[in-house]
Amino acid sequence: MNNILECRNLTKIFGTKKALDNVTLSIPRGRIVGLLGPNGSGKTTFIKLCNQLLTPTSGEILIEGKIPGVETKKIVSYLPEKNYLSDWMKVSDIIGLFKDFYDDFNAEKAYDMLKSLGIKPNDRLKSMSKGTKEKVQLILVMSREAKLYLLDEPIGGVDPAARDYILDTILRNYNENATIILSTHLISDIEKILDDVIFIKGGQIVLTKTVDEIREEIGKSVDSLFREVFKC
Amino acid sequence: MLAKLLKYEVKATARFFLPLYVALIAFSLINRLLNPFEAVASPGSPNIDLNLQVIISIISMMAYFALMVGTLVMTVIVMIQRFYKNLLGDEGYLMFTLPVKTWQHITSKLLVAMLWAVLSFLITAVSILITANVQHLGDKLRELVDLVRTYLGPAGPFIIPAYIFLIIAFYTVMVYAAIALGHLFDRHRLAASFGMFCVLYFVYQIISAAFIFLLSTTIPDFFTASRMPTPHELNTLLAGPAIISIVLTAVNFTLTNIILQTRLNLE
Repeated sequence: MNNILECRNLTKIFGTKKALDNVTLSIPRGRIVGLLGPNGSGKTTFIKLCNQLLTPTSGEILIEGKIPGVETKKIVSYLPEKNYLSDWMKVSDIIGLFKDFYDDFNAEKAYDMLKSLGIKPNDRLKSMSKGTKEKVQLILVMSREAKLYLLDEPIGGVDPAARDYILDTILRNYNENATIILSTHLISDIEKILDDVIFIKGGQIVLTKTVDEIREEIGKSVDSLFREVFKC
Repeated sequence: MLAKLLKYEVKATARFFLPLYVALIAFSLINRLLNPFEAVASPGSPNIDLNLQVIISIISMMAYFALMVGTLVMTVIVMIQRFYKNLLGDEGYLMFTLPVKTWQHITSKLLVAMLWAVLSFLITAVSILITANVQHLGDKLRELVDLVRTYLGPAGPFIIPAYIFLIIAFYTVMVYAAIALGHLFDRHRLAASFGMFCVLYFVYQIISAAFIFLLSTTIPDFFTASRMPTPHELNTLLAGPAIISIVLTAVNFTLTNIILQTRLNLE
């Protein structure tokens, strides 16, 4: 079983809208995968389904062969596009919480990263800007030694300088056997770190290829291929 | 894992209640010293003189009552808000990705909500005792316990607290089930939750009414008898609603658990 994530005929319908339409997908271990598509294409829906925050309308997801549940949550580190931190907590409180609940959480690593970004452990989340909270969340998520990282728009809300640090952080903090799936529409910024890309449009997968294949076979960068595929 | 959840739940809620409890006790001590009830309603003076003492007394009395009402309201609001916001709002993105079973989330919320309800009740009772300056408190409590014993039999003093726990748990879990059912709707979930609470409450009322009807046919002279009911009869009367509450609490808990486990759709 070489694939960390598999989904078969996965469909999610909200009311009358098909957010995901019959998606079948296999993602191997040890890859950095870009889940790319315009706004409202189903990226967040897919990632939330993997985390059991949404219930599929039909089809199934298997993470390391198991449907999402307590066992998969132990090995999946998830960065949502929302701010899920409680405002009353201090940074050190939330680190304590992660340490309590996740066996694979490395608090030392988290404190190191906070230090290099100039965030104090005693700061309250309430007093932080939106961008700083996003950085704290990313630090928490990347301080886990997980087998699968699901990062939803990890660079969406931060400035370009911080973007570089974040991408660097992602690269430095994952081990070779882990897989990272990250969703974004800011392709040029992340293109250089990706191994594979999945293009998603209107809830359907329109293309899955390695970045090398795109460059060699199609002779384009991911960014220009994206612009071509999703031309309005 | 449940112990860890309880720890964080207490931490997250204590900051609402502890200051309120301290203020409540502080104001009951102030009222004890000022004795405003005396100053405002001294029988000797028909036209109350609005002197400074009376004004301060009125303010301190009003603050005290506001704190008592506030404690009650806070207990109910925190109970609802912790479930709705922490599990089904944005914070749910973290809670539901922790490697924890759904029933443990519900249980931790329930136990901590009950803890605060009981503490709020006890603190309010203590503050009333402080304000009222009750003499010979021990004797009076013993009298109360004796009174309960004559009506409910030797187990009476334990039946009443158990009943209070059960009622708190019953209504709390009913609110959880209503919120969970409201969550099944695609839109207007808050309004749907409120509607669902009305539905659940209605079902409960129907079951209760059916029980009373059943009781009146089995013990026909129960409601018409002019004698005092025996402890055994009273306990039978109390056991029925208790069993109904236990069963419905279990049903509502299971319902909540199933919905959050298999029908979760965070917005």
